[in-house]
Amino acid sequence: VKPLESLLRDAGLSFTVDERDGVAILVPDLAAGLTPLEAADRARILQMARDAGFTHVALELDPGGAPLSRD
Amino acid sequence: MTGVSDVSGDIQQKERALLAWLRSRGSVVVGYSGGVDSTYLAVVAREALGRDGALAVLGRSASVPDDQLHAARAVARDRDVPLLELDTGETSDPRYAANPVNRCYFCKSVLWETLVPAARERGYAAVVDGTNADDVHEYRPGAQAAREHGVASPLAEAGLTKDEIRLLSRARGLATWSQPSAPCLASRIPYGTEVTVERLQQVARAEAALRALGIEGNLRVRYHGDLARVEIDAPTIDRWLEPGNGARIAAAVRSAGFARVALDLRGFRSGSLNVLSGVVAA
Repeated sequence: VKPLESLLRDAGLSFTVDERDGVAILVPDLAAGLTPLEAADRARILQMARDAGFTHVALELDPGGAPLSRD
Repeated sequence: MTGVSDVSGDIQQKERALLAWLRSRGSVVVGYSGGVDSTYLAVVAREALGRDGALAVLGRSASVPDDQLHAARAVARDRDVPLLELDTGETSDPRYAANPVNRCYFCKSVLWETLVPAARERGYAAVVDGTNADDVHEYRPGAQAAREHGVASPLAEAGLTKDEIRLLSRARGLATWSQPSAPCLASRIPYGTEVTVERLQQVARAEAALRALGIEGNLRVRYHGDLARVEIDAPTIDRWLEPGNGARIAAAVRSAGFARVALDLRGFRSGSLNVLSGVVAA
């Protein structure tokens, strides 16, 4: 997790990284403001994740969104 | 609509080999899921062996989505394929529920332990499945269970690949020809995480909500506890990452009871969790 966070930070991408079952989950830094993820950024992130040893990387969607529905 | 005669000679030759195989048995029970392969096999067996010579058996359990069951019933009805439905109940087998890397072996064992005696009681000569020539090169522990129960794989024996079965299905006017592969819902749960009916239903609800949102093609909602990881076809990812779309995906998946939602940035991969667990190479 830490190497990937470092690679992302060095590339100017504002994410923290959570890990679930071996998957790197990128959590957007809400304080930095949500910006659309460009296709080129996605390709760079996939490469950085591979370099950090992850076979799977996912972007958390709407992390500040509505809470879990219990109805 | 294209016909079988429009398919290449090599593929037609393979189909002739399949027909010869089926006729040599005289009657077969087809392990039927409504997927591309078993649908083609059931329809061809019905054509080759007549109504008394072919029986499609559909296994029902929590690991099979309802829409898949409905579609399988519709095809059997439209093509006049006799259909028998059996409850398999693999989720109550603790060896299956523990979700080891060979989970499919236990699932298929339960299926064939149910289906093979049913075939024998009805006097059918052989039990067959929809394994194709591509499948034999993949990690498929369920194939061992088929072998142990004497289940034959005539599509693979005829050398028919998935793409060829799609072509032959299209030539027959089967809607399944372009259908994405649809493995059981347990394939969404990482090995070692217990498979429960509730989790399978949660995944099914999330996938249904995403289909309702307009996601087409391959789709998997992978279960990671309170977090769902969504895999869709890679060429469509950027569109669903556009402003507003991500929130729509998140809301749809949350409605199924997940707290967090993430979109896989590489997109759909068949056997994704096999790669994740190191069972197969990345």
